[in-house]
Amino acid sequence: MDFMLSPEHQALRRLIRDFAETEVAPVAADLDREHRVPHEIMRKLGQIGLLGVCFPQEYGGMGAGEIGYCILMEELGRVCTSTATNVGAHIGIGAMVIYLDGREEQKQKYLIPLARGEKIAAFGLTEPNAGSDAANVHTRAVREGDSYILDGGKVFITNGGYADVITVMAATDPSLGAHGGITAFIVETDWPGFSVAREEDKMGIHGTSTAELVFEELRVPQENVLGKVGEGFIPFMKSLDMGRLTLGAAGLGGAEAALDWAVRWAKTRKQCGVELAHKQSVQWMIANMATEIEALRSLIYRVGWMVDTGQPFTQLAAMCKLYGSEVASRAIDMALQIHGGLGLSRDFPIERFFRDARIAEIFEGTNEIQRIVIASDIFRQHGVRIRP
Amino acid sequence: MKIAVILGRVLNPAGIVVNRRRGRIFVNREEYVMQPADRCALEAALQIKDGSEAEVIALPRDLLPGDAVGSADVLRRALSMGADRAVNFTGRASDVDDAGMTHVLAAAVERLGGVDLVLTGATTWDTGQSQLGPRLAEVLDWPQVVDAWAVRVIDDRAEVVCQILSSPVRGDRGGGSGYSIFEVDLPAVVTVHPGALKSRYPDGVRLINVYRDDGVVEQWDVAEMVDTGNLVPLLEKRGQDFPPQRERGVQLEGTPQEMAKALAGELKKRIG
Amino acid sequence: MDFALNEEQEMFLAMFRDFSTKEVAPSVEELDHAEQPPLDVLRKAAQQGFLGATLPEQYFGAELDYLSYCLLLETLAKDSLSVAVTLATHVSLAAMSILAYGTGAQKEAWLGPMAAGEVIGAFAFTEPDAGSDTSILQTRVTFPFDGEESEGGEATLNGVKTWVTNGEIASLLLVFAQGSEGIDAFLVPADAPGLTVGYREPTLGLRSVTFNTVYLEGCRVPGANRLGEPGTGLEIAQQAQDRMAVALAAAGLGEGEAAIETAAQFASERVQFGVPIAQKQAIQNYIAEATAEVEALRYLVYRAAWLVDQGQGTPFDFSVVKVHGARVARNVTNRMVQVMGGYGYMEDYPLARRYRDVRAFSIMGGPTELQQVRVAQQVFAERDVEVVP
Repeated sequence: MDFMLSPEHQALRRLIRDFAETEVAPVAADLDREHRVPHEIMRKLGQIGLLGVCFPQEYGGMGAGEIGYCILMEELGRVCTSTATNVGAHIGIGAMVIYLDGREEQKQKYLIPLARGEKIAAFGLTEPNAGSDAANVHTRAVREGDSYILDGGKVFITNGGYADVITVMAATDPSLGAHGGITAFIVETDWPGFSVAREEDKMGIHGTSTAELVFEELRVPQENVLGKVGEGFIPFMKSLDMGRLTLGAAGLGGAEAALDWAVRWAKTRKQCGVELAHKQSVQWMIANMATEIEALRSLIYRVGWMVDTGQPFTQLAAMCKLYGSEVASRAIDMALQIHGGLGLSRDFPIERFFRDARIAEIFEGTNEIQRIVIASDIFRQHGVRIRP
Repeated sequence: MKIAVILGRVLNPAGIVVNRRRGRIFVNREEYVMQPADRCALEAALQIKDGSEAEVIALPRDLLPGDAVGSADVLRRALSMGADRAVNFTGRASDVDDAGMTHVLAAAVERLGGVDLVLTGATTWDTGQSQLGPRLAEVLDWPQVVDAWAVRVIDDRAEVVCQILSSPVRGDRGGGSGYSIFEVDLPAVVTVHPGALKSRYPDGVRLINVYRDDGVVEQWDVAEMVDTGNLVPLLEKRGQDFPPQRERGVQLEGTPQEMAKALAGELKKRIG
Repeated sequence: MDFALNEEQEMFLAMFRDFSTKEVAPSVEELDHAEQPPLDVLRKAAQQGFLGATLPEQYFGAELDYLSYCLLLETLAKDSLSVAVTLATHVSLAAMSILAYGTGAQKEAWLGPMAAGEVIGAFAFTEPDAGSDTSILQTRVTFPFDGEESEGGEATLNGVKTWVTNGEIASLLLVFAQGSEGIDAFLVPADAPGLTVGYREPTLGLRSVTFNTVYLEGCRVPGANRLGEPGTGLEIAQQAQDRMAVALAAAGLGEGEAAIETAAQFASERVQFGVPIAQKQAIQNYIAEATAEVEALRYLVYRAAWLVDQGQGTPFDFSVVKVHGARVARNVTNRMVQVMGGYGYMEDYPLARRYRDVRAFSIMGGPTELQQVRVAQQVFAERDVEVVP
């Protein structure tokens, strides 16, 4: 077993860290305060090739694999959860569906510009009645000649307010549900019938677009059906599976940032005549944070390796998301506590990370769903099919 | 045209702590970065390449035993940023200083053949003003311009912009206030001021491919290039110590009134 | 032991609920968004006698027992934690300190206006270098001439206070400073020469509460404005913090109850996989655990309030209620955000604001870590071991 990152992955990490510290960290607080999407940063990431980090070079990507993508999310997560979220929605779910299930022509037409960062992607799954129950989509897709007409809408779509390409899940046959009734489509956002209704006002990740989308007689050519008609649920679930891993990686980044600040503050701040570092309460928090971070890191990169070597990873990816989001929340909370009053102040970055981290336990499959995925997989291996 | 860029690596000072009291330097985080001035030199070379047909070749600044991997890393970074070729030197048993390195690099430039411009940093983070560029120009018998802020190539000349340091000598300097522009015939050696240019990020695809390819950096044996007798250091390092301690100030405490009283007293003591 | 609220307390509770629903709930979201203090709410609260909740009738107070006052805070917190914290600072920290330690003249001068809401009180103890470390303060109080201290004279205060709750809206600040015999407490009007209320901290939560930095630069007050004897400042501050610990825990209790109410309602309406999510065991567990925690906290808080009324209560009691109140309020709110899923993250729904507001509870009024030291000190003192923090 070789636990070292390969030379190219080490070099990649250096590049991304340098970029994150130079381009992202200085504006992270502004993005939050101004509720602004980092379009400039997305453009620069695209120019370097990072918006296609895991896609093969023949499709405009960097060919750094899932491990490369984990590194990207980890390093961005260390400085700005909002930026990491924009990137994750673009690569890990938006473009990923096209990579996993697109036809060659679709990959040529859409994946290449997405991987190069010339266009931005989003993932159109969630609806008011389809949250955890993702198959319960009501957006209708009706065949008409050589097109499909989409009617309905989506909510809570990350990047939805500015994406160029959105992979949308719609019901072609409501009576069949997830098995035969749902189809995936590639939708271009400048087509007539597509509109953005509103942006959500969230507790955190203010530097992201979380949009409500409306489809009104939106005509989608049949070439844009992704995968087979009626079998759209599977590619979307596969994409979510993969996205989970890298969400855990972003959590790892956030936890590492928290540990870093906590240590720095503890060695500087004096109370009762001694630095906080000499207080056992603080030492315990830091030791716990560090231990969880190490465990998470090993989990994330091992699962990355499993994906890159073609091994089954569904259960493990769910663990990455579950554990990653919880480790990040715990670590950031402890760092905030160590900083005392300053941890509550918006003049310091910690409270921003605190607000940003909370969503990770909820989106892309709540942690409850992750637990169902894990338990289902375990029992399935023992011949029991559990009803969630 | 052919541009050779000489790049070195240095320990990132951010990972170093100096403890004066114990008279020691602690390397808490051993992280090497490209010398900042050399990075600017590379950027200057790449910008020339952006505007024309040019080949950029990266060469190492240092020759330290067992440092092949370290130097190779800097060279690979240069490749990932856009350099066309990189050459590392192997086969050396002990430290070679700037004087010795000059001979190695001069031989390398000869061997490359047709080099029009040599770029390197004007300073290094660890030793200050770098002698390497000027020495190399002397050995090659090429013109040199040091501490450049910008370099442009026009036909067989280079236009180099340098900052004027404040000087009592008057005269027509041209080029606008604060800067001189020198025209120099190629081939020439130009050293670049640190911070003169913003370094570009490596290209992602290039980065992955360069680092996956073990053979991407060429290896040249030093013994085949120079008489190793020329490489013995001219200077012998006998020791190193911290600069002498300076007298610290006096901290005054108390209420503003108390501090004012104390300050007056201190001033009386010193001035009389 | 009688665990039931008496008739009067039940009546008060109904009155408090009525007030909160009518006067607090409608503006809470807007005030949070605009980060404005709830001045209108305070005016209305004053009309009800809430700003002098525990003060004697002779000072136009409502003369509520501490438990009833805690019921008020619990109720207000269900709609706005900011309003509860603002009120508690005014009553428990400022007004009741004057009640406990003030001279007749001081009580006459200040308590009536405070009960009427004409004067809002603030508490200025924390300093940039003295957060939890309370034994030494940098803020100094001096008297120009020796001997004048005992005669009254004029005191001069110099220093900087941070995180002064109600800083911007207060007309009276209780300022703690290092004097010749230890820490002194001074009643400083906001318009005293040399006092400047400065920077307002932008905070994660409690965005309708003002937390300010206060500068004392040659701030002059009559010597007669000292509260209590010279050197009793630490005692005054500690008692105030103990009262506040109970008050905050009561607010936390209300906050937790409200979070559960909102989430349970959501869980009964939100249908996924064909059934309300209330049918899912995981959701049931979250609600059940939260309810159990809140119930346990309830009686801890009510008992602590009773201890305040009895004039009893050891550091152990107050620290335990502070720690537990903060922990339960935070855990419950966090779990209820999770029950609400994405809707728990949207500012259109109340849970997001609750989550942001309640985080401060483990820090303000003495962070959990220091409270725990106090608890340990008492536990080990009984075994003849002096715990040194």
